Amino acid sequence: MAVEARTMKPIMPKVLGKGLGRIAVHVILIGLGFLYMYPFLWVLAGSFKTPGEFFSSGLSLIPRQLNLKNYVYAWNAGNFSTYFLNTVVVAVGVTLLVILFSSMAGYVLSKTSFPGKKVVLGAMLALMFLPAGYTIIPTFELVQRLGLLNTLWSVILVQTAGGLVFNTFLFMGYFATIGKEIEEAALVDGANLPTTYWHVMLPMAKPMVATVGLFQFMQNWNSFWIPLVFTVGNPSLRTLAVGLYSFVGENSTGWTYVSAGAVISIVPIMVVFFFLQRYFIEAVAGAIKG
Amino acid sequence: MALRIDTAAVPGIERLATAVSPATRRQVRKNLWSYIFLLPLLVLVGLFVVYPMVASINITLYDWNGIGNPTRFVGLRHFFTVSRDPLFWNAFKNTFTYALVLVPIQLTLALILALVLNNPKLKGSTIYRAVYFSPVVTSAAMVGVVMTMLLGGVGDKLNGLLLDIGLIRAPIDWLGDPRFALPVVIAVGIWHTLGYNLVYFLAALQSIPKELYEAARVDGANAFHQFRYVTVPMLRDVGVVIVFLAILGSLQVFDLVLVMTGGGPYFASEVVSTYIYHYAFTPAAVQAEANVGYASAAALFMGLIVMGITIMQLLAVRYAASRRSELKSAPAAAGERVPRGGAYRGDGADLN
Repeated sequence: MAVEARTMKPIMPKVLGKGLGRIAVHVILIGLGFLYMYPFLWVLAGSFKTPGEFFSSGLSLIPRQLNLKNYVYAWNAGNFSTYFLNTVVVAVGVTLLVILFSSMAGYVLSKTSFPGKKVVLGAMLALMFLPAGYTIIPTFELVQRLGLLNTLWSVILVQTAGGLVFNTFLFMGYFATIGKEIEEAALVDGANLPTTYWHVMLPMAKPMVATVGLFQFMQNWNSFWIPLVFTVGNPSLRTLAVGLYSFVGENSTGWTYVSAGAVISIVPIMVVFFFLQRYFIEAVAGAIKG
Repeated sequence: MALRIDTAAVPGIERLATAVSPATRRQVRKNLWSYIFLLPLLVLVGLFVVYPMVASINITLYDWNGIGNPTRFVGLRHFFTVSRDPLFWNAFKNTFTYALVLVPIQLTLALILALVLNNPKLKGSTIYRAVYFSPVVTSAAMVGVVMTMLLGGVGDKLNGLLLDIGLIRAPIDWLGDPRFALPVVIAVGIWHTLGYNLVYFLAALQSIPKELYEAARVDGANAFHQFRYVTVPMLRDVGVVIVFLAILGSLQVFDLVLVMTGGGPYFASEVVSTYIYHYAFTPAAVQAEANVGYASAAALFMGLIVMGITIMQLLAVRYAASRRSELKSAPAAAGERVPRGGAYRGDGADLN
């Protein structure tokens, strides 16, 4: 852009050239942004349409009326109320467990030294580089043997385990930046390690808790592969992503219902995102810096 | 089996607690809380990450439909079958096509957008950033469903628009035509995860010290020169990580393909992860019997290939970095003033 403005300089008065260039940038950004959001706006409009309207009015973004029938059908007959609840349980459960377990491990790994610490750190580092995502079958078998198959616990525990190593490193790095004095003061006051962790260290790590929490919530709201495999025998345990996928198979002509189901799945996480977008983006950016 | 899990879960701790010197034993007792705090991590990761990795190697040696215990030992036969299965190599080719087409296009677009949005004088850049990032917060499965409807043959959708403006003469079955299925999935993939790379690039751009640009401007560098001789070299290290993550992420593509095409039509968009999924869970799609052993062998085979690529990339990066530091130290050692741009130019050559 700056290049464009520069080449205009000799022809036009400086201010006018820059102003026009800036407007052009905004026009392009808004136009592309609209196209970028179009699929979401389109499915939102589709969720209010009647089947006939959905068929005939093609790409239009404005439904003729705000018809809520599709939502009623998806929520009740389509079981989206159940899927919604399951997704909340999984996303909140995994997020809390990952925050708790990885901050605990990160704390002792960064602030205490004990026999075996190097072994643990080395093993964790090795795990970061081994390929993940190819071990679903033994995981499935293990979950079955533990008697957890077709429970939400299986999804929660497997996804928690998957998030622990990376986030423990994040917490380790964060705790390492906190000076020893504060912690030592607490220990002198007679606090033991759990008290120091819970009342002193964890509160100080709030920014990292927020980062890990948002990222985990987003990932687990959207998780597909693990819940797909672990709830295959029990449709009442499906999460929104899995439920929506199966709903398409079962309602291959009910596109307006599917649209309503898609909106129910997407809107909550979008709302969370737009309210907390600064933190979301900082969380993502933090992952590349750390 | 329970025993195997335990040793996998707590590497070294039991051994350390029972063997070795009294001093170590005292250390262990003194740090009891540390071990307790590590326990959830060790147990969960041991059970659901380490054990499956080890066990999957064992499963590859059996014929097994996934019910009961694996009994028929076949040794390494599955690996030979996988390495000679044209369907596997088709899926392999599609996976790499997906990654090698998606990554350069997506990263170029993300970098251009990041450069535009990084301009501090641009009003509303946080709003634009949020808009372009928003597809990232939705799952590939949900996105796949929406896109399937938008592209689908039912009614007057994208095809209607393209017919109206005369770009096509007959409706195209975007996901049902073998020529279009994979390119369409790639296009949706580019749209879906571009936001990650946009934010990565923005973070990297913001970490470049402003003084560098000021110094370049004082030296008479124009916008292009500033980009070429300040931005590009400063972005290189983070850029390598971004490329890394993008390639690794796209080699594991699964949800989007499964939801949009199921790997079809006629395996035209089959990727390795859907190939494995079919053999393990929905064998009808590949006209075979469920064979978890075979699926695990294919998974391990692909996992090793991906790991090999990762290691090669790491080595290449390290090599490039060491060459770069040699080049950088040379003129400084000679006590010369580094000519503007000159050192960077020599610098850039080693990557190309």
